[in-house]
Amino acid sequence: MFVLPAFVVFSLIVMFSIVWVFIIGFTDWNGFSQMNFIGLKNYVDMFTADRNYWGIVTNTLVYTIYELFLQVGGGLLVAIFLTRITRGRAGLQTLYYIPVIVSTVALCQIFTMLLSVTPPGVVNSLLGLFNSDFLYEEWISNPTRSLAVAAFVEGYKYFGLYMVIFYAALIAVPKELTEAAIIDGASAFRQYAQVKLPYIMPVIISNFILVLNGSMRSFDVSFLLTKGGPGNSSQLLAPYMYKQAFSSMKYGYGSAVSMTIIILCVGIGLLLQKYLLGRAEEY
Amino acid sequence: MSIHRSHKIFGRTVKGLIAVLLMLLCTYPMIYVLLSSFKSSDDFLHLASYQLPSHLDFVNYWTVFEQGRILTYFKNSIIITLTTVILLLGLASLAGFGLSKINFRGKKSLLFYFNLGLMLPMQVALIPLFYVFSAISLLDTYPAVIIPQVAFSLAFSIQIFYSFYKFLPNDIVEAGIIDGCSPLQIFTKIVVPVSQNAFLTVATMQGVFCWNEFITTYTFTKSISMKTVTLGLNDFVGMYGLTDWGATFAMIILTVLPTLLVYFLANKYMLAGLSAGAVKG
Repeated sequence: MFVLPAFVVFSLIVMFSIVWVFIIGFTDWNGFSQMNFIGLKNYVDMFTADRNYWGIVTNTLVYTIYELFLQVGGGLLVAIFLTRITRGRAGLQTLYYIPVIVSTVALCQIFTMLLSVTPPGVVNSLLGLFNSDFLYEEWISNPTRSLAVAAFVEGYKYFGLYMVIFYAALIAVPKELTEAAIIDGASAFRQYAQVKLPYIMPVIISNFILVLNGSMRSFDVSFLLTKGGPGNSSQLLAPYMYKQAFSSMKYGYGSAVSMTIIILCVGIGLLLQKYLLGRAEEY
Repeated sequence: MSIHRSHKIFGRTVKGLIAVLLMLLCTYPMIYVLLSSFKSSDDFLHLASYQLPSHLDFVNYWTVFEQGRILTYFKNSIIITLTTVILLLGLASLAGFGLSKINFRGKKSLLFYFNLGLMLPMQVALIPLFYVFSAISLLDTYPAVIIPQVAFSLAFSIQIFYSFYKFLPNDIVEAGIIDGCSPLQIFTKIVVPVSQNAFLTVATMQGVFCWNEFITTYTFTKSISMKTVTLGLNDFVGMYGLTDWGATFAMIILTVLPTLLVYFLANKYMLAGLSAGAVKG
């Protein structure tokens, strides 16, 4: 009785949408005319005829690897750092979390201006003080760099989220465990490597899965900051799906691209959850 | 001994330095925007982008208000955020309570079912929802923006309420049963008052997410009178391009200010929701 309202809303909107997108993926729907069933044509086109598709899948996977380093790695390092200092932890944690609460739209505009070339933004002006060549360095509109720049902004925005989770887990490690290690003469590095990190392994793994999931569906930064470009150099699956559907009016095809995202997110998520978390419980 | 001490001082200095550098990295963009929002157009021409404004100039804020739409954007964002949060709190707290304190068959699979929602990306629902909303002509209305956000935030919010209620002593509920309360009365009269922290956590976190939301509103609204602050900010640049940086900076400050205020007042609750999940493992 208590669960029913949430169950209905969740099923009608979330679960229904997933089923629906699966069905639309087999049609040629263009937004206004009738939907015609065309079987697997969208998928055949996507895998064989679409020259951009595989490059975009690769971009998405590369982007995900960047995010794992920035968000899981960066978040964990900053959390460890916080546990190593004696004063002002709470205040610093509060400040380090600020990028999480600034909207992506605002953040993308701020970075557009910080990284601007004409007129030179803060980054180029400061670099230009050392070497005037840097004044004209392109960041967002450089095809070899745009993916990394977008990944940096996304990592910058979200690392604080994982820092908070890691920090809470680290300070919850039982004192007896670290005390025993200190008596054994373990260095600070070994305390972390051999006692604390193994203890919080389930948290590390679940954050790993969360970041993996969040990056493979990532939309906003690539859509707003680099617009997928130049060319398709920083295009990711979710904004590509969006462009196919809402700009090119190929809703059927966009739905097929959506299925790739669902399979990557849910498939890999469930697999990792089962395999890694199952193993982590042995610790 | 003195070597040991100088070692310690050195370590402390390095730590302090790292702390300050990280702090600059995380706060500089906002400081930069705030300072730049007070720059006159003359400053933008003659000063390097990292320099301070020559004097405090409020003209950029005037430009934003004169353009007039910011009040509409704020009205829409407030309506959408408040409605989303209220609906979400109602649905998620009831479900979290039911799942943690009432025994019924299929509870485990229901929990798994909701947890699936954590992995399902909201973006893939845009096409099917667009189809449904245009069929029942719901596009460009508040419900079209609110419903998907409520539904896709349910999984996470239910989880927070669920883990909160799991640690709530059963005695409280039993006392209510003995007093002859109905299950709904137990919930509204006994459980809700003691779970303010869970409510505040979900409200502040989801409120900020909803205020910052971009893609749902971008997809399901068309008219200017329906736009939220994030969309307004996004359009702002489109309208002025790079010509009016000052006004853009002022607009960013105005749209981000409410979330920063909520955050500084209630960061304890926002961070608590994340931490609770971690300790639970």
